[in-house]
Amino acid sequence: MMEGPTFAETLVLGTIQVVLVLLVAPLLLGITKRVKARLQYRRGPSVLQPYRDLAKWWRKEAVESDTASSLTAVAPAIVLAAFVVATLLVPIVGVRAPLAGWGDLLVVVGLLALARFVLALAALDAGSAFGGMGSSREVAVSALVEPALLLALAGAALAAGSTDLGVIAQTASAAGTAWFTPALLLGAGAFAVVAVAETGHEPVDNPDTHLELTMIHEGMLLEASGPRLAILMYAAELKLVLVAALFAAAFLPIGMADRLSPVSVVVAVGAMLVKLAAAAVALGVLDATLAKLRILALPGLLATASIVALAGLAARLWLPA
Amino acid sequence: MPSELSVAATASGVILPLVAVLLGLAALAALAPVSRANPRGLSLGLSALACLGIFGLGVAVLISGEPVTAQAGSVLGFAVVHVRFDSLSAIFLLALGVAGAASSVYGIGYTAHASPERDRAAVAYPLFLASLALVFGADDAFAFLLAWEVMALSSAALVVGASPSAGVARAGYFYLAMTHLATVALIVAFAILASAAGSSDLAAFGAAAAGLPPLTRDVVFVLLLVGFGTKAGAFPLHVWLPRAHPVAPSHVSALMSGVMIKAGVYGIIRFGLEILGPGAEWWGILILAVGVASAVLGVLYALMEHDLKRLLAFHSIENIGIILIGLGVAFLATGVGSMTLAAVALTAALFHTLNHALFKSALFLAAGSVQAAAGTRDLNVLGGMVRLMPITTLAFVVGAAAISGLPPLNGFASEWLTFQGLLGAGAEQALSPVARSASLLAIGGLGLTAALAVACFVKATGVGFLALPRSPGASAAHETSRWMGAPMVALAAACVGLGLAAGPVAAGIAGIAAGVVGSVAAAAPAPAATTAVTSVGPGLGGAVYAAGAIGLLLFAVASATWFVGIRPRPARRVPTWTCGIVPEPAFEYTATSYGKLIRLYFGRILRPTREITVELHPGTPFPRTVRYHGEARHVVDERVYEPLHRMAVGAAQMARRLQNGSLQLYLAYTVAALVILLVLAR
Repeated sequence: MMEGPTFAETLVLGTIQVVLVLLVAPLLLGITKRVKARLQYRRGPSVLQPYRDLAKWWRKEAVESDTASSLTAVAPAIVLAAFVVATLLVPIVGVRAPLAGWGDLLVVVGLLALARFVLALAALDAGSAFGGMGSSREVAVSALVEPALLLALAGAALAAGSTDLGVIAQTASAAGTAWFTPALLLGAGAFAVVAVAETGHEPVDNPDTHLELTMIHEGMLLEASGPRLAILMYAAELKLVLVAALFAAAFLPIGMADRLSPVSVVVAVGAMLVKLAAAAVALGVLDATLAKLRILALPGLLATASIVALAGLAARLWLPA
Repeated sequence: MPSELSVAATASGVILPLVAVLLGLAALAALAPVSRANPRGLSLGLSALACLGIFGLGVAVLISGEPVTAQAGSVLGFAVVHVRFDSLSAIFLLALGVAGAASSVYGIGYTAHASPERDRAAVAYPLFLASLALVFGADDAFAFLLAWEVMALSSAALVVGASPSAGVARAGYFYLAMTHLATVALIVAFAILASAAGSSDLAAFGAAAAGLPPLTRDVVFVLLLVGFGTKAGAFPLHVWLPRAHPVAPSHVSALMSGVMIKAGVYGIIRFGLEILGPGAEWWGILILAVGVASAVLGVLYALMEHDLKRLLAFHSIENIGIILIGLGVAFLATGVGSMTLAAVALTAALFHTLNHALFKSALFLAAGSVQAAAGTRDLNVLGGMVRLMPITTLAFVVGAAAISGLPPLNGFASEWLTFQGLLGAGAEQALSPVARSASLLAIGGLGLTAALAVACFVKATGVGFLALPRSPGASAAHETSRWMGAPMVALAAACVGLGLAAGPVAAGIAGIAAGVVGSVAAAAPAPAATTAVTSVGPGLGGAVYAAGAIGLLLFAVASATWFVGIRPRPARRVPTWTCGIVPEPAFEYTATSYGKLIRLYFGRILRPTREITVELHPGTPFPRTVRYHGEARHVVDERVYEPLHRMAVGAAQMARRLQNGSLQLYLAYTVAALVILLVLAR
């Protein structure tokens, strides 16, 4: 067992992570939209537009359906809490997460499910057909996403011999290039596909649409307004960071700090920002260049991800090391 | 009847007399319905007290660590009551105690307006409870089968009631036929074991099982799996469950789904693992396969349901599947002597058994309240219960979140352990690549199940309880009595409590699981890698889930968000925007429309049918009525059980020709039998 960072180091690195993640989350959406616009020969909004949107919604009045129950008011708080706690469980800056020892990658997946449950339920609260559309699509797509997600992460867990994300990150950092086995790369590929679906981007969902024929995530947010919309949008932005960080921790743990020195912290923060920005750019490119798949064609794409992840696991078991 | 009562327990000496008194109350409860004065309340109240006694017995066994044994009565040299409640029994007793007490109290309110016909069947209720308690402790194959049969018959009586409708009678018939086929399998398995042991004692079974030839052991294992799997409702032996559970009174449904089907789980652990184990590798793989099939198909069929209680019944199949996945890993791990893994997997199965007893009882009781208040359990005409029945809705939502395996509730903790068991088996070098592959495949299956369970309970809760009521009956619903509300709320609170305290609870169960695993193989389990009881664990590589801490942090962040962002600015309430039309319930998604995408995605399995009838206004192209009828076809029912059923009825019709009631013919049979015997014995 390798020596991990001490408690004090975890605390400082963890604080840096919390502050950075919470600050940088809306920026990723800004980058994605900007990249998409540039590829479509538009100037596009400033990368800071998501911050301005949040500030605008925060000041606005909240309106809710007169058939809504208290769930409509409570749901944004639970959704945000689930994502905040989940990001604290993922090592992003240091090799140990701020809440190292509280939970593993299965807990992160469980918290994603908690947020989905509450959001999909709240979408039905107003009794509008749009909420039902978004909600039923979200849960159906997630049924295709979750097996692939778990199988892909299982590959990384087996490679490191633990489901603890900190242990995975440390093992991977220590292994160097030996970490990137064919089996792991297959898992990473599968994860990348379902990450796009989980964060609601093309070709699975279009984050900019409000057309009932196509929307999934936006359909669930239609009834939200004012500060509640701000909270839910911020939660969605945080989810993008979370999924990208989960990918980085399990499959690409390069540059993370295992010691508290100025150099390693700068390197780690830089590596984190580069990885997150790369994810945001990649999603922007996908949004701009891919058409949305018919919703009935999604099983083809997402089941392929499951099969690729299974191939990774099979390679781990059956191929000589 | 000669009877002796020998109680061998030292540390629990104080609690036992109390338990005996409370068990006596159960006997009184069985007699109470016969009397005229307030039969229901008295019988159910005494049953509730007896359940507390059963709970106390479980606690006593767990605290003392000593088994409680008793023997009474004998028929033909077999002990009628020969019980030994050890710590494995105790977990099931706890589940029975809590679910039984809650259901009994609920029953007082629920049956207050029941018909007198239902009353006459109510005599079976205390019998049902007592037989369950005996099944979990019988230390003798004869006593076990006796209790098992009483359990089957009394529950069947409760399902059909005294004057059933044709549909209900058919469900009861199906249930009885299946459960008796299962009992036949058990009798054969026990007979093989008893003839090898020369005794019907379970202890003798254990000693004899090791000496059986491998093929005989395999046969006994399959017989046990068929017998107990049927009672548990495992695929493909599940077909009785979605028929019988919905038609029973809701407090009985809660007990059947929450506790009775766990008797099958208990049997597999007690007889399959403890007595017969460790087994061949294919035993574990078979259980794992049955578990995954039950889990995935159970939840898929649940998604296609719009009858709330049938939906819950299919979820029982799903959850039995999750439990069996844990058991399958436990079988695999004990087979190769990987004791720590076996203990983790068995902990997962036992913990999920306890959890399912809590949340499934809560859900069935809530469904019963809705049915009582709205007069229907069809989700497509329900809705709006959140305002009409807030307490019932709260209990249902908590139960739904728990059964969906969401942190920080109890269902997540046991599913976390199940996943850890599968990952551990995938990483276990001593297992063959086939077994490891099966375990890793099961991760995908369990992940699919978890996601679909979320989908199904969002559907059930959202369609049934939120937005506007869809029918006059649903609009007229009102909150039920406190007798019905309090048990539901208590069970929901237990789901939260067990979720937050999952660390210490799992540690306690792990101790019991280690004992069971230790008795299977000579090698004792290695001490747990982490000793912290505040977290659930250890998982792969010592990973943990700090349930309480995560739960409190979630609560803190959500509260902060609530007080900063949401509470200071209450929302203005306006009608839902429906593109300029006045909102009405027809705009809401129904259970059927909510499940449509999943119905199409999994069409290969569900084989949905749809039938659309359009009736036009005469002489115009405009439709007057449009009717839609669609359902998922149950392939196993259609391809396996219906042909089997037709064959069985056909065979019975043939046999009936022998029985024409003519005395002369019967005398001729006797003479023929005598002649044949004389010829054979010559």
